Amino acid sequence: MNSKNKFYFAISGVVLVVVFWIWWVSTNPASEQALVKFLSVQQLFSEEQAERIRLGGLVADESIKLDENNYMSCNFDLQEGEAILPVHFVGVRPDLFKNGAEVIVEGIYMNGVFEADILQTKCASKYEGDLRDADSYNLEEVSI
Amino acid sequence: MIPVIGGLALNLALGLAIIAIIFNVLYLRSGDGRLFLSGQRAALAVSLLSIFATIILTQLLMTSNFDVDYVAHYTSQETPLIYKFTALWAGQSGSLLFWLFILSLYAIIAILQNQRSQLKLMPWVMIVLVTVQLFFLILVNFITNPFAPTETDFVIANGLGLNPLLQNATMAIHPPMLYLGFVGFTVPFAFSIAAMAQRDMNALWMRTVRQWLLFVWLMLSIGVMLGGWWAYQELGWGGYWAWDPVENASFMPWLAGTALLHSVMIQEKKDMLKVWNMVLIIITFTLCIFGTFLTRSGIMSSVHSFTASSLGPIFLGFVFFILVVSFGLMSQRMQLLRSKKRIESFSSRESGFLFNNVVFIVMCFAVLWGTLFPVISEAVRGTKITVGAPFFNQINIPIGLVLLCLTGIGPLLVWRKTSKQSFIRNFTTPVIAGLVMALVLYIINIRGYVLISFSLSVFVLTTISLEFARGIRSRITVHKENPLTAFWRLLRKNRSRYGGYIVHVGIVFMFIGFTGHAFDIEKEFGLKKDETNHLGGYTFVLQNIREEERPNHYAWIADLHVSDASGKEIVMLHPEKRIYFHRNPDPERRQPHSELDIYSTMKQDIYSIFNSVDLENGVAYLKIMINPLVNWVWFGGFIFVLGTLVALWPPKKEKL
Repeated sequence: MNSKNKFYFAISGVVLVVVFWIWWVSTNPASEQALVKFLSVQQLFSEEQAERIRLGGLVADESIKLDENNYMSCNFDLQEGEAILPVHFVGVRPDLFKNGAEVIVEGIYMNGVFEADILQTKCASKYEGDLRDADSYNLEEVSI
Repeated sequence: MIPVIGGLALNLALGLAIIAIIFNVLYLRSGDGRLFLSGQRAALAVSLLSIFATIILTQLLMTSNFDVDYVAHYTSQETPLIYKFTALWAGQSGSLLFWLFILSLYAIIAILQNQRSQLKLMPWVMIVLVTVQLFFLILVNFITNPFAPTETDFVIANGLGLNPLLQNATMAIHPPMLYLGFVGFTVPFAFSIAAMAQRDMNALWMRTVRQWLLFVWLMLSIGVMLGGWWAYQELGWGGYWAWDPVENASFMPWLAGTALLHSVMIQEKKDMLKVWNMVLIIITFTLCIFGTFLTRSGIMSSVHSFTASSLGPIFLGFVFFILVVSFGLMSQRMQLLRSKKRIESFSSRESGFLFNNVVFIVMCFAVLWGTLFPVISEAVRGTKITVGAPFFNQINIPIGLVLLCLTGIGPLLVWRKTSKQSFIRNFTTPVIAGLVMALVLYIINIRGYVLISFSLSVFVLTTISLEFARGIRSRITVHKENPLTAFWRLLRKNRSRYGGYIVHVGIVFMFIGFTGHAFDIEKEFGLKKDETNHLGGYTFVLQNIREEERPNHYAWIADLHVSDASGKEIVMLHPEKRIYFHRNPDPERRQPHSELDIYSTMKQDIYSIFNSVDLENGVAYLKIMINPLVNWVWFGGFIFVLGTLVALWPPKKEKL
């Protein structure tokens, strides 16, 4: 084998190994968080899902309830179209998480409640909202 | 009135861009010098007008002219002046104009700098540059105009303001740096297309391209690192890299660009790999445009993406256009690019570079695969599969370790063929050092990737130190210099070589930092005043919760006392929970923001987040993380930049 062919051979070898590696990881991910199905809430209700899934939707109005004894723990309703799904999440909530926010949750659906361990908000670089005139700016008491 | 002028400048620039292209094409056909001059002036005018339009938008932002929709959406009266300025690249249309602005600066420099020395290539260089400008001009003129007026029937008293997450000094520098990198690849790309079109690949062309590449690559690297730094300091999830589609979008051109930076050296020194380099330049530039597309189209759900827009198809069309034209031209010029020389041996530096290239490119492909996996799986199987960080880590850690290993081997190989003796002489000590490290780690019960990574780090650091030692020692014997002078002169005489080594040292330090991630621990808990909790041998006591009203927000501040196992005070941490727009009457429009506090040492970071406050019971809910070795990442990044600057520093003009 001349040196040119030897090189093509070696490089194709490297490429093949890596392609195989990528394929292998894609089919046998080590972590259950590596590849997660993204479903709609409607799909979640219609099919039995025991595995980890990811969902997106809006936080239903006035639905956020913090646990009195542990503010880290909260319940809220995820709304996607007509479908509403109760979600329970424990952990640090993103700053943009609020009623009406667009969120993504990941976790497991158990006994009618979605137990999420990942909660992300869509981060916009601006505030979606209406621009207002001078009268609507008054000081009011602040609370969290 | 002023917004109208900005809009007009963009209209005019669009028209002139078309004229500039036409003049340059006509010049190429006729050879009439007047056409060339007109084409050049038109090209410069396009850039100047684009810059002018950007200055106008900046002025509108600084003076809070809320008649302009963009200004009203991204700034408010309360926005600090500096962030009124940075709002220029906070939103979609502004950031596209900013892209154009940077490209225009580069275009002016590239045209003026090379108009004499590269006269033959200039028409084509200008055609390529102006075509890219034209694309962005079309976007800002017709698709998303930054000067569009506000559509309300009342006078706007105040704008919506900039997201507090973006109100951070790093965030002010990160995008411009990234853009300086992203956009800058247009220039080497333009020179390459010009060289192929004119069938002229002289040595000077190579030098021009290499200098640009190095500078642009440095900017991109700084941009990427600052992005990680910002995420770590500001976003509050305790990490600096999440394999988010947009992070990947900046990482892919970096990988391809790094490969290119290595392989152009072979072209420079040995006149080989020309085809491969051309492919790499085209891929890198395409990835830059593709990256902008990923960021701006909303095709990927990402922390960075703006809401879905009509930009997607146009960007994809442009990416397709670039690929077809570039590779089409390349296939016409294969004869010119083919090299007669062959790589002679596996143990040559050429082959080392080649393998480094292959590994960089497969890594780039792996990242691309993961990034596009959701789109592909939806198209092929009908279910959308989202890809998480564990997937990327699993794939890329081994590839990254191979790269780390090559960082140690590559520089010790010599051109053409490394002899067995020099192989043994150069590698014995480093290999032994690496093995000793591995053994020590094994004994203290550290296994797996961590063991490999630390051992390889020692191996690479030893090879580089020995290289420096050899160089210094030979200067000491030959020139009778003292070690410090010898070190300094060694750097100055071989900037690119030793600068490169310093960059490698930076990379090794960063790998050490990445490896620390394996030992991260975290805990979430609520604390009342004077209550205590523990993590990783440290004790955390909440001494107080204070509150304070500041100009543009309201803050609750936790005073968190941290002490070690022996009870010695380590630090007082003050994470804050802030409410921006706290005077907004609608509570839903007020914006909470967690301001972190981090105690940082080379050994580890203690990272605290104030998640929420229960005012009734006086409980602060906190998350504490202990992240070992994170500082090595930033320190390594600093060394990395330093090394690149050494390599980039122009050599002293030699007397003729």
